[in-house]
Amino acid sequence: MLEFRNVSKVYSAKKKEVVGVDNVSLIINSGDIFGIVGYSGAGKSSLLRCINLLERPTSGEILINGKDLTKLSRNELRLARLKIGMIFQHFYLISQKTVGENIAFALKAASMPANAIPARVDELLEMVGLAEKRDVYPAQLSGGQKQRVGIARALANNPAMLLCDEATSALDPKTTVSILRLLKEINKKLGITIVLITHEMDVVKEICNRMAVMQDGKVIEEGDVYDIFASPQKILTQEFISSVVSFDIPKTILKDVRGQIVKILFKGNVAGEGVISDTMQRFEVKGNFLHGTIEYIQERPLGIFLMELQGEDSELAKARAYMTERGAIVEVVLHV
Amino acid sequence: MFDVTHFIDMVPDLLKAFQETIIMIGISLSVSIVLGLPLGILLFVTDKGLFWENRLIKSVFGFAVNLIRSIPYIILLVALFPLTKLLVGQTIGPIAASVSLSVAAIPFFARLVETSLREIDKGVIEASIAVGATPWMIIKDVLIPEAKSSIIQAVTVTVISLVAFSAMAGVVGGGGIGDLAIRFGYYRYDNTIMIATVAILILLVQAIQIAGDWFAKSIDKR
Repeated sequence: MLEFRNVSKVYSAKKKEVVGVDNVSLIINSGDIFGIVGYSGAGKSSLLRCINLLERPTSGEILINGKDLTKLSRNELRLARLKIGMIFQHFYLISQKTVGENIAFALKAASMPANAIPARVDELLEMVGLAEKRDVYPAQLSGGQKQRVGIARALANNPAMLLCDEATSALDPKTTVSILRLLKEINKKLGITIVLITHEMDVVKEICNRMAVMQDGKVIEEGDVYDIFASPQKILTQEFISSVVSFDIPKTILKDVRGQIVKILFKGNVAGEGVISDTMQRFEVKGNFLHGTIEYIQERPLGIFLMELQGEDSELAKARAYMTERGAIVEVVLHV
Repeated sequence: MFDVTHFIDMVPDLLKAFQETIIMIGISLSVSIVLGLPLGILLFVTDKGLFWENRLIKSVFGFAVNLIRSIPYIILLVALFPLTKLLVGQTIGPIAASVSLSVAAIPFFARLVETSLREIDKGVIEASIAVGATPWMIIKDVLIPEAKSSIIQAVTVTVISLVAFSAMAGVVGGGGIGDLAIRFGYYRYDNTIMIATVAILILLVQAIQIAGDWFAKSIDKR
């Protein structure tokens, strides 16, 4: 378990103090794939880098299984870092060393006997699907392959945790998907806790089970990814979610709307269409679908529909109450 | 103007002078690499934000480097006569000249090494720290390999500077090509020797530059 306790990071630059991380307390459980989202400058990268103390927090504690990393000596910290892998947006491989040597470097850091290194390097390359690239230099690899080498290096010493600093932001969508799939597999197979920061909500939706949203150095919202997708509380969170689940309705359509527009949300296995058709039959209400989607988050469906409802106000209220009763979350978006 | 028979007569002298130049450059280059490389690395890793950040060491060594570099070589050469006498026993000849050449070349090369190291992406160093590498491992397996190509270029520049400095050393009896050029070409108006020495120096510098460029490029894996 990783715990941030009142962590702050203040940068002092030219007589001005800039708050990077502002009093963050957060718990990340073992086995989680935890996503931290926020715009650039929100402090998510600083927060991530506080975990392995690439940046030392100005105040607060970083506890891993109850042990405060900020209190470790230089060498203890170095040994602790062997168990915290990290991958980067720009990979940061040693360009003058082969793929194999790059991974061997990490093993040497853990003082692995020289005769055991080649076998472990091969094993790691096998795991990331680059077995035949052992003797090539990073310059000859594609971005996705470089990131796979980065992952192999990060996993070399069997870490308990993997930190991903915008790990897929420099990759094309197809490569991103394959890297995310690999991360998920690593999490499942090896039970490694993954903490990732990203500005791409797609990434969170794809692999995270828990998430936090950061703004101005603070964590403004955190929780289960599914719950946050279903009912985001903060405006910023809603903004991020609308980047993957968009409900923009063209103005020309909005112009012709009569009655009210409602957003209806079905969580889990509630059969959305059934509830809606029942509602239409029971009450004096006419409905039009304007938009609808079923998102699968953590393999659980989340149905979201936008409907135009027409009828007497009292009937509309009854219809909404009925849908709520049947397990939907109904919200009036617009009333004409 | 160029007297071929005179040139042929002088070939043994030219060869001896060339040999002396090579000795001077060889010794001072070796010393400057052995001492200047660690010094350059020290200047880099004690800088702000690096793993051995240390303002005291950085400023003491930085000051010493600047101090030596601010003295014109010809003055340094004379000023170091007592040290030269102490180390070599005399102040004349290529070995003696190597002392001041080394002293001049060490800080010069160290600064070039420091600059080469600065070109390395900080992220690569950071990634090595994150991996749990020791400072020594980072120096040996990250800093030096990553800057290798650029350090080769620094060696090239240093050698070429040493060629120029060694000619100056000739003025006060250091020997070498520069010595020959001054004694014959300048004092005796011997154009043949002047042209020959200049030609040798041009060829030498070109050869060093081409070899350095080729070598730097051939080992770069980027």
